[in-house]
Amino acid sequence: MVSISIRQLTKKFGRNTVLSGINLDIAAGELFFLLGPSGCGKTTLLRHIAGFYTPNSGQILFDDEDVTSLPVHRRGTGMMFQSYALWPHLNVAQNVAFGLEERNRPRPEIEARVAEALEQVKLEGLGDRRIQQLSGGQQQRVALARALVIRPRCLLLDEPLSNLDAKLRIEMRSEIRRICKEFGLTGIYVTHDRDEALSMADRMAIMEGGHLVQVGPPAEVYRNPATPMVAEFIGETNFIDGRVLRDTSRVGFFDVETSLGTLRGRPNSEDWRPVVGQQVILSLRPEALSFEQIFDSPNRIPGHIVNTSYLGSIVQYELAAGTENLKVCQMNPAIIRQPSDQEDRLMIAPADVVMLRK
Amino acid sequence: MSKTLSRLVFVVMAAFFGCFFLYPIWATIQTALYSADHKFTLDFVFEVFSNAVYRAGLGNSFLIAVWTTLGCLIVSLPLAVFNVRYEFPGKALLNSLILLPMVLPPFVGAIGIKAMLGQAGAINSFLIALGLMDPLRPADWLGQGQMLGVVLMEILHLYPIIYLNSVAALANLDPALEEAAANVGCPPARRFWRITLPLIMPGVFAGGTIVFIWAFTELGVPLVFDYDRVTSVQVFRSINDLSNNPLPYALVLVMLVFSTLLYSISKVLFGKSSSGGGGRATTARETIFPPAWQGWGITALFVGVTFLAVLPHLGVMFLSVSNDWYGTILPHELTLSHYRAALGHELTLNAISNSLKYSVLAMIVDVVLGVLVAYVVVRTKIAGRQILDAMAMLPLAVPGLVMAFGYLAMSREGQPFDWLMLGENPLLLLVIAYSVRRLPYVVRSASAGFQQVSPTLEEAAQNLGATPERALWRITLPLVMPNLVAGGLLAFSFAMLEVSDSMVLAQQTAHFPITKAIYSLVGALGNGPSLAAALGVWAMIFLGTTILLAGLLLGRKLGALFK
Repeated sequence: MVSISIRQLTKKFGRNTVLSGINLDIAAGELFFLLGPSGCGKTTLLRHIAGFYTPNSGQILFDDEDVTSLPVHRRGTGMMFQSYALWPHLNVAQNVAFGLEERNRPRPEIEARVAEALEQVKLEGLGDRRIQQLSGGQQQRVALARALVIRPRCLLLDEPLSNLDAKLRIEMRSEIRRICKEFGLTGIYVTHDRDEALSMADRMAIMEGGHLVQVGPPAEVYRNPATPMVAEFIGETNFIDGRVLRDTSRVGFFDVETSLGTLRGRPNSEDWRPVVGQQVILSLRPEALSFEQIFDSPNRIPGHIVNTSYLGSIVQYELAAGTENLKVCQMNPAIIRQPSDQEDRLMIAPADVVMLRK
Repeated sequence: MSKTLSRLVFVVMAAFFGCFFLYPIWATIQTALYSADHKFTLDFVFEVFSNAVYRAGLGNSFLIAVWTTLGCLIVSLPLAVFNVRYEFPGKALLNSLILLPMVLPPFVGAIGIKAMLGQAGAINSFLIALGLMDPLRPADWLGQGQMLGVVLMEILHLYPIIYLNSVAALANLDPALEEAAANVGCPPARRFWRITLPLIMPGVFAGGTIVFIWAFTELGVPLVFDYDRVTSVQVFRSINDLSNNPLPYALVLVMLVFSTLLYSISKVLFGKSSSGGGGRATTARETIFPPAWQGWGITALFVGVTFLAVLPHLGVMFLSVSNDWYGTILPHELTLSHYRAALGHELTLNAISNSLKYSVLAMIVDVVLGVLVAYVVVRTKIAGRQILDAMAMLPLAVPGLVMAFGYLAMSREGQPFDWLMLGENPLLLLVIAYSVRRLPYVVRSASAGFQQVSPTLEEAAQNLGATPERALWRITLPLVMPNLVAGGLLAFSFAMLEVSDSMVLAQQTAHFPITKAIYSLVGALGNGPSLAAALGVWAMIFLGTTILLAGLLLGRKLGALFK
C-alpha cells in the first residue's frame, strides 16, 4: 500500500494534449475516483499510473519512489480492466496464479494464495472452471482476485462495473469497497457513473479536457461544485443567470438578481467574496426545491407545473417559472401534483442556492 | 428469407454435395476397397504399405509437408507480429505485396527455379564468374536436393496462408489480455510466449493444417522438378493403366484418410477455444512507432521475403524473354517473340480460352452457392444449418488429387455419371471440380460479410414493406458486395491455378486448361520451356491483378478465408 503523487504530468498524442500539467496526491489506503465525461483523460491518467504510457513530462511517485519510467511489469500495480481481460486459454485458478508464477513463488505458496484469493472474492471451488463457463459477475470476481493475489502496491480499476447489469453493479460496489478497505489498499477507480463515485469514493477528481477541475470528497464536490460543468456532471441541477445585488446581514450570503426575482444564496467557496454587480450562475438542485414552507428563507419562486413524471420513489416535476423551466423532485410525496395553469410556489433554502463564477 | 426457400437451399446443397463431393470420394474408396469380383478387401491398401517405392513416396510427402509447415511458420509469424504491431516505411504496399506469392502458380515458379539452380543455371554461372566454382564440375543443386527444392518452393508459395491467419488472430486479440499480464509482472518476451502465442494458436494452427494438407498432396511442383518419389506424382504417373489397377486408388485412399484425420484433429483441438473470452475489447491496440533503423529493418525483412518468393517467378519472366539462357548469369539475348508465339500457338491459345471458360463458370457456381449457404447458415435458424456449414468447409480437408480420381472414377463409361464427360469434353467435370474445391473460400467470405451487416437493417426494410427476398436483394447484398466480389475473385484465380483436377481430368490437347498446357510445354523440345514460361507470365498477370483487387476489397479480413 503506497501513497501516489502525480507531479506536472503532461501527455500528448501527436498534436493532441490529453493530459496537461496534472498534479494530484492520493493518500495511502484511500479509495480515489477519477470521474469525467468520455475523452476527458481519466483512463489515460490511470494507464499512466499502471505504466502503459510514458508521459511527455512530469513524474509519478509511489511513496517517494519515482516510478515514471519503471516498466509495467515491474511496477506492481493490480489492474482490473473494463473487459476483464481474462485469458481464455487458462482456467480460473491459472488466471489467478499467473502473476505469482511470474514472481517465481514456490508452488505450494501459489496454491495457497490462489485459494485464499478465490475465497476472498467468494469463488471457492471454481478454480477448475473455464473462463467461458462463468457469468459476467463471476468473471469480474476472477479479475479482482487476479489483481489482488499479487498483493499490489495499489489497485487500479478501469470502469470495472460497466459490463454488468444494474443489480449486480450495486452489489459489486460495496464488495469492491469492502475488499479495498479490508486490505487497506490504495485504490484508483475510473468511471463516468456518478452514483458509483458518490457512493464509493473517499475522494474524487473531476476531469475535463485533460485537466483536473475539482478534487474533493463526494459531499464537498456535490455541494460546492467548482464550475457549472462539475455541478451538472455530478448531479441534476437548474442553472439560473444572475447578478450580485448586495451582501446581506447573514455572513456569507448574498442577494442575487435573476429572472425569477431576487434569490439569496452562497458562493461555492469560502475563499471567494463576490462583489456587487458581478455576473454569476446559480445552481439549484431539483431535490432542494420544495413546495413546502421553508422557514427563514426569503426565496420564493412562483410558477406552474407543466409536466409530471412519476418514478416510484420520487416524482419529477417541470415547473415553468418566468422564462425558465425548473426541474423539481420530491421524494415519497403525499400528493402527486398534476400539470395545471394554477400558480404554485416553490421555496429553497439560501444554503442550497449555490453561486458559481461565470 | 422465407423458411421454404432456406429448406430448398439446404436440399439443393445437400444434393450437390452428395453427387459431386461425397459420391466421387466414395467412388475412389470403392475402387480401392473392392476386388474385381466385388468383394470387400484391404489387400490393395496393404499392398501400398508393403511396396517399398510407395512407402518411400508417402514418407517423402510427409516430410515435405512437415518441413513446409514449419518453414511457413518461421517465415510468417514474425512478419505477422511486425505487421500488426509496428509502423514501418511502405507498410500498406508491402502488406499487399507479401501476399502476391499465394497466387503465383508454384509449379510455374519451379520452372524458373530450374532455370536458375540447374547445372548450367544462373547461380552456378554466377559462382563460376566469381571464381568460387570449378566450371568443369558445376554443382547439381537440384539433383541431390530435389526435396529441398520442392520444400522451398512450397514455403514461398504457401506462407501467406499462415501469415493471413496470424495477422487476423493477432488483430482480434484484445490488447488488454497482454496488458493484464504486464500488469501482474510479466516481461514483454515472456508475455508473447505465455499469452499471445497460446491465444493466436487456433488461428495459426488452422492455417497450418491447410498448408500441411496442401503440401502433402501437392502435385505440380514435384512434377516440374521431376521428383517422382512422392505419393502425388506416383498416383499421377499410374494414371495410364488406371481402369484396371486399383493401387493408385488405394494410395489416394491413404492420402484421404490422413488428410481428413489431420483436419478433424485440428478442428477438435482448436475449433472450440476460438472465443475471445471476457467482455468486448475496450482499448484499441496502439501501433508502435519504432526508431527509424528498426522501422527500416522491418521494411527490409518484408522486401526480402517478398523478393525471395517472387524470385522464381522472376526467373520465369527472364526465361520467357530469353532466346538462350544456358550457362550464363543473365540471358544472352532478350526477345518478346515467345509472347507472340505463346499467343499464336494452337495449344496455348486454346488453353487460355479453356481456362477462362472453366474458371468463370466455376466462379459463378461458387458465388451463387456460396451466398445462399452463407445466408442460410448465418441468418436463419433452420435445423441442420451447421451441417450445411460443415459440408461447405469439408473440401478444404480433401486433397485435390483425391477429388480428381473420384470424378474420373464416377464418370467412367457405364457409371451413373458418365454423361458428365460430354463425350471427351471435361468442361462439366472441371467446372464442378473447381467449384467444389473453391467453395469454402466463397462461403467464408460471404459469411464474414453477413456477420458484419446487422440483421436490423433488413428488418427495417421489411418494416417499410419489402418482402424478405426484396430486403435481402436491396439492402444486405449491396452491403456484402465487397466480400462477394473478393470471394469470387479468389475462386476464379484458384481455379485458373488448379493443378490436380486439370492434370487428371483433361485428357485431350484441345481441352487442356492453362496449367496442363504449361506442364506439357515444359516437357516439349525446342522452345517449349520458353513458351511455357511466357504462358506462365500471362497467367501470373491475370492472377496478380485479381488477388490485389481481392486484398483491397477485404483488407485484413482476407485472413478469415483460410481458417
